[in-house]
Amino acid sequence: MEAKDQKKHRKKNSGPKAAKKKKRHLQDLQLGDEEDARKRNPKAFAVQSAVRMARSFHRTQDLKTKKHHIPVVDRTPLEPPPIVVVVMGPPKVGKSTLIQCLIRNFTRQKLTEIRGPVTIVSGKKRRLTIIECGCDINMMIDLAKVADLVLMLIDASFGFEMETFEFLNICQVHGFPKIMGVLTHLDSFKHNKQLKKTKKRLKHRFWTEVYPGAKLFYLSGMVHGEYQNQEIHNLGRFITVMKFRPLTWQTSHPYILADRMEDLTNPEDIRTNIKCDRKVSLYGYLRGAHLKNKSQIHMPGVGDFAVSDISFLPDPCALPEQQKKRCLNEKEKLVYAPLSGVGGVLYDKDAVYVDLGGSHGFQDEVGPTHELVQSLISTHSTIDAKMASSRVTLFSDSKPLGSEDIDNQGLMMPKEEKQMDLKTGRMRRKAIFGDEDEPGDSDDEEDDEVSEDDGLENGSSDEEAEEEENAEMTDQYMAIKGVKRRKLEDDDDLERSSAEEGEAEEADESSEEEDCTAGEKGISGSKAAGEGSKAGLSPANCQSDRVNLEKSLLMKKAVFASEDESEESSSLSAEEEDSENEEAIRKKLSKPSQVSSGQKLGPRNLIDETSDIENLLKEEEDYKEENNDSKETSGALKWKEDLSRKAAEAFLRQQQAAPNLRKLIYGTVTEDNEEEDGDTREELGGLFRVNQPDRECKHKADSLDCSRFLVEAPHDWDLEEVMNSIRDCFVTGKWEDDKDAAKVLAEDEELYGDFEDLETGDVHKGKSGPNTQNEDIEKEVKEEIDPDEEESAKKKHLDKKRKLKEMFDAEYDEGESTYFDDLKGEMQKQAQLNRAEFEDQDDEARVQYEGFRPGMYVRVEIENVPCEFVQNFDPHYPIILGGLGNSEGNVGYVQMRLKKHRWYKKILKSRDPIIFSVGWRRFQTIPLYYIEDHNGRQRLLKYTPQHMHSGAAFWGPITPQGTGFLAIQSVSGIMPDFRIAATGVVLDLDKSIKIVKKLKLTGFPYKIFKNTSFIKGMFNSALEVAKFEGAVIRTVSGIRGQIKKALRAPEGAFRASFEDKLLMSDIVFMRTWYPVSIPAFYNPVTSLLKAVGEKDTWSGMRTTGQLRLAHGVRLKANKDSLYKPILRQKKHFNSLHIPKALQKALPFKNKPKTQAKAGKVPKDRRRPAVIREPHERKILALLDALSTVHSQKMKKAKEQRHLHNKEHFRAKQKEEEEKLKRQKDLRKKLFQIQGQKERRNQKSSLKGAEGQLQ
Amino acid sequence: MATQAHSLSYAGCNFLRQRLVLSTLSGRPVKIRKIRARDDNPGLRDFEASFIRLLDKITNGSRIEINQTGTTLYYQPGLLYGGSVEHDCSVLRGIGYYLESLLCLAPFMKHPLKIVLRGVTNDQVDPSVDVLKATALPLLKQFGIDGESFELKIVRRGMPPGGGGEVVFSCPVRKVLKPIQLTDPGKIKRIRGMAYSVRVSPQMANRIVDSARSILNKFLPDIYIYTDHMKGVNSGKSPGFGLSLVAETTSGTFLSAELASNPQGQGAAVLPEDLGRNCARLLLEEIYRGGCVDSTNQSLALLLMTLGQQDVSKVLLGPLSPYTIEFLRHLKSFFQIMFKIETKPCGEELKGGDKVLMTCVGIGFSNLSKTLK
Repeated sequence: MEAKDQKKHRKKNSGPKAAKKKKRHLQDLQLGDEEDARKRNPKAFAVQSAVRMARSFHRTQDLKTKKHHIPVVDRTPLEPPPIVVVVMGPPKVGKSTLIQCLIRNFTRQKLTEIRGPVTIVSGKKRRLTIIECGCDINMMIDLAKVADLVLMLIDASFGFEMETFEFLNICQVHGFPKIMGVLTHLDSFKHNKQLKKTKKRLKHRFWTEVYPGAKLFYLSGMVHGEYQNQEIHNLGRFITVMKFRPLTWQTSHPYILADRMEDLTNPEDIRTNIKCDRKVSLYGYLRGAHLKNKSQIHMPGVGDFAVSDISFLPDPCALPEQQKKRCLNEKEKLVYAPLSGVGGVLYDKDAVYVDLGGSHGFQDEVGPTHELVQSLISTHSTIDAKMASSRVTLFSDSKPLGSEDIDNQGLMMPKEEKQMDLKTGRMRRKAIFGDEDEPGDSDDEEDDEVSEDDGLENGSSDEEAEEEENAEMTDQYMAIKGVKRRKLEDDDDLERSSAEEGEAEEADESSEEEDCTAGEKGISGSKAAGEGSKAGLSPANCQSDRVNLEKSLLMKKAVFASEDESEESSSLSAEEEDSENEEAIRKKLSKPSQVSSGQKLGPRNLIDETSDIENLLKEEEDYKEENNDSKETSGALKWKEDLSRKAAEAFLRQQQAAPNLRKLIYGTVTEDNEEEDGDTREELGGLFRVNQPDRECKHKADSLDCSRFLVEAPHDWDLEEVMNSIRDCFVTGKWEDDKDAAKVLAEDEELYGDFEDLETGDVHKGKSGPNTQNEDIEKEVKEEIDPDEEESAKKKHLDKKRKLKEMFDAEYDEGESTYFDDLKGEMQKQAQLNRAEFEDQDDEARVQYEGFRPGMYVRVEIENVPCEFVQNFDPHYPIILGGLGNSEGNVGYVQMRLKKHRWYKKILKSRDPIIFSVGWRRFQTIPLYYIEDHNGRQRLLKYTPQHMHSGAAFWGPITPQGTGFLAIQSVSGIMPDFRIAATGVVLDLDKSIKIVKKLKLTGFPYKIFKNTSFIKGMFNSALEVAKFEGAVIRTVSGIRGQIKKALRAPEGAFRASFEDKLLMSDIVFMRTWYPVSIPAFYNPVTSLLKAVGEKDTWSGMRTTGQLRLAHGVRLKANKDSLYKPILRQKKHFNSLHIPKALQKALPFKNKPKTQAKAGKVPKDRRRPAVIREPHERKILALLDALSTVHSQKMKKAKEQRHLHNKEHFRAKQKEEEEKLKRQKDLRKKLFQIQGQKERRNQKSSLKGAEGQLQ
Repeated sequence: MATQAHSLSYAGCNFLRQRLVLSTLSGRPVKIRKIRARDDNPGLRDFEASFIRLLDKITNGSRIEINQTGTTLYYQPGLLYGGSVEHDCSVLRGIGYYLESLLCLAPFMKHPLKIVLRGVTNDQVDPSVDVLKATALPLLKQFGIDGESFELKIVRRGMPPGGGGEVVFSCPVRKVLKPIQLTDPGKIKRIRGMAYSVRVSPQMANRIVDSARSILNKFLPDIYIYTDHMKGVNSGKSPGFGLSLVAETTSGTFLSAELASNPQGQGAAVLPEDLGRNCARLLLEEIYRGGCVDSTNQSLALLLMTLGQQDVSKVLLGPLSPYTIEFLRHLKSFFQIMFKIETKPCGEELKGGDKVLMTCVGIGFSNLSKTLK
């Protein structure tokens, strides 16, 4: 290998580097400064024409402005969720192969069967969730809504298929994620030229659909059933560096693409009723926006649900923690796909299996020894350190205990599972701690507390240790859940035995936790010697527990107030507590010094600082008592006596108030809990109830609803000290250092005081501040304060620098800051604040404030899920939990702008059920199409217009305005043509709607006066007429009129006046508008509930046309509307009849000629026919023959004569011509002579004249 | 059928406005039971019925069911409609009672709201229209609700028990609100006030002004108290007088206090001098409490912070009033939002009592009623 000669270095001839080099070279030769053409030839760049200059300026500004987008606050979390890559294409195009190749490329692992989403770590800062999308339109729609990137596979040998275009259109409607085309099957081309042509053709078609220049990737061919490594590598690179634009819908709604599902229903319920509603938990990365507990979600294909519980779990496919190296470690290349059985957990119908996984499978159990060491280190940290970290626990301890606690423990479940797969390769995980539930509940609770403290404390100090503790916590969690789960596994003996083994172990461990004795530790140590991680954990836990016991006491002290309250709350009813708390806060806030008897507070603080544990323990008890006393004894005005102690208490309040206030507000149940107390009331004789006197809370519930905050104990504002307490609230009071005008001025003086006048050379010195002088003196006097001084000097210097920089920045930026820049800056500031605000808090607290943030791996519990969802679960179909905003779960009328898709063959009919995809949902509904007239009237249309937008209104779920939607006629099966029927956008939401259709009422005149007519047949009663009095009516012939008043005689007749007299044959009509009601039909497409393999066969309500076709019902046609052959009858006109008088008056020319025509010759005058005898016939024939001969002769003679004549004529003509010629010659001669003669005469006359002149 | 968001249920008539307003904004139905169930006069009062009627006027498609005794109320909210509305408020409560809720709802209507409210403009229980005009409107402006049509005009003054006042409130519509960061209350630079008197001697107002100034002048020279004496039809049906004071700080926050005379025929007569002095003291109390929002408008500020985009909003408040505390609980049950509450103790500085810093992330609320064109 080494002998092989290396490629020689080639010098760069182009590119930035080469250019730089060239420049430097030129500069060396003193030619460098001439390269700027603008400098060299300024005239060429001078303004030639002001107009053109203005235009070009305008244009550049236009272009610049066009590039601007409305700036949005960047809300991407620091650790973003994996990017959803949807691999889409028609069947047999190579989707699965591509996914496999990509996964192999990123993780060096080969997945044989891919089901559902696969999450992989693709880079230092990026993870991908790859999911395949078939050509079921349900799946296409759902995935288009969650996709960040779409890999659109196209079979180049075949060309584009309908699915590709359908998917593109779906994407366009739902926010257009990044789209990258991938051409496959390129090896089927034999000729290179054809290949090139096809590539180009496809590329340009693709560009017209996506955008010009959209990336189209070519996968040239397969090698051993896989794509070429290099190409896949390149594709992976493209994906990893791709940037994404935030999509409106996705950023404003939380959503989860679930990658794991579990059925949590009680098995007993299922046994009794197999069709009972299920409780499921779904796992996945949260994306989009913050998700809050108990919020509404929609699962496309299933329905609407409320999140019954949500908790976050440690990331199963975490990004690498430290990023020192350029590329990923082999260990960090994780893959997580539970539905495909990768990443530890395999989903099955009734249980979850844990798989050993591939090479990375063990990486979580990096080695028990390692963890042991870690935990030892963590527990051996000093008490002081623990004290420092106890702040953190203060928060967690003070938060209400209850269901959340259980959740906390539930979070760590996957870790737990992974640990277990060490023991037996593949086992059910639930039976392990089955019997441990029996020991007393109270102990359990205590345990929980302690262990939780552990976890949190260590979490602050060391992460590794935290993991370990988490594992511990999950153990306990398992214990609680154990019994229930065990039912699942009763049938499996083998696994059960192994589980029991585990139980024994765990029992030991738990006892250790409770008692923390060394002996037991030893036992467990020996037992677990060969076991692995568990065993390694236990001693460490023990030690940490011992420390924690002490520490927990400490912490109890710190948060005693909250605990006190919680104890109280347990005894009192919720509302009572409510009121008490309220009072308490009122006391604390408005009269801050009411805790009057705390005389020992000052010294107590000192003791705090010394942090003597035993003392603290005593103090704690003391203080508890004091606190109780204080509540009872404190008088209303006592606070005035010791105003001076306020400061001492401030510290305490600071410690207490925040959690207290929080607990005061949120810690109690606010909802109505009175169901029970109604029942608990005693009954007298089974009929009456004792009406107990209302307690305080009852009064509160019905008390005055007023927002004013009344002052209960007003200060005496005449006292000087009371007045002084708010002195600084006024501009006349003392200002903060950085705002005080005098100080700021002084500082400026210091900063800018020194300057040198360059012209005169004078050096002006600013007044050196008094402090600087002081400093000098002090320096001389005291040496020990030196470091302090130095520091202050340094600080001052830094301040100076900062100020200068600020000044410079302000000056520099001022020129260019535009409105857009300002806006952008504002957004950026907000984004920074968003990130920074909760950064320092732990996830537990953070989740409560801002909800679960995107990027977290969460577990969502949902109740009342239809059993078909679990029974017919198909991991190939994506399960999406789409969060709904407020009132997006409600229904109402939705109005949209709709346009029939230009590729859809038919037009759409009003009142035909159609399937819409709006927001997260897919549902069938009955829309009405309408168009808006100029006056804002919404007029019903029977059909959508062909090439025009129209309105559509339906009754369905409320979705925010501006959301795109698409409509399809049916989601079942494969239809031959383009499936997307219409697209558009939501415009308006309302609870009522006003769409009208045209209605013409007709009537007939039955009596006509001059301009007034009586009309009947238009209405049925006088009341109806009264409603339309004054309405405009019209006849068919166009005469306008007005309804005047109802008539008595025929019911419903009325008097009307017109602009002209009517005819009895006229029809009168009135144009009116009739409101149409929209059918309240909303039918979610529940395609995920269909059986496996039939998920693309969902069919909802059928259209009337389809129903007629199915049932063979033909539409009864109106006979008049039928087309018949046109028969035209011959027209007969009557003869013209002119009256006699007229005839007489007419001139003769025009008089009808009445003379009879010549009639037929009478028979007697007719000549008889001649019949000849044979003899006579012979004679006649002969005569005929002779005459023929004669005529022939004559004809010949005539011809001859004609010829002769012609000849003669010609001869004569010739003669004539000659004669003429002769005459002409003669005449010519004559004229010649004559001419000569004349000329001669003229000459002589001229001569004579000349002679005379001379 | 989309599942209707499950309804919330409460007992008692207290905080009725909060519940109905939040229900309207969140779209969740609410059921309130046991409204004065144990009272001699059970059920909803006139002013509550009037409030419900007002809600019905400004919404479209709301369903309101009240049982026969009026002790149970079921409210299924519709969409906020707005437009031009007139409403005769009950004289049992001031217009402020209605206006406070309208301030919460008005920015989220379909059509800009222009409402004429008739009733009691100033009373002793509810924040008066003057105070709301001086404090709530600038607060709304911080959230980006602004414009020419944003105003509150007092056409007539009406004092209890007769009423007869008239107020015109108009508010533009917004799709989204801006997040706010109000952490620095600044220093009070001026104090303004309005001393009003109706159907009494105009001299009353002047007497009030003098006495109020006598106290406030110790702190600040820039004090101006307007006197407003309404006559004729503009003076309502009952006599009375009162004072409202507003302190404005350098950073544009407003703190207010007010007092009104006892209604005619109820309680002893109040001397205008006493009233002025007491009102000034109340203002000092309010300043002592401090914060960037005064105590009546705490809940309004918190609500608008909640309804913001998914950005962090912060506001520094004085001690939380009981109304606000309950409001926070309601916010949690309707919007699942919790505020981060930090107590800022008063240190060495002479700036009054403890403050509370409230921080929250908006829920990303958008106005679903507004039409897209």
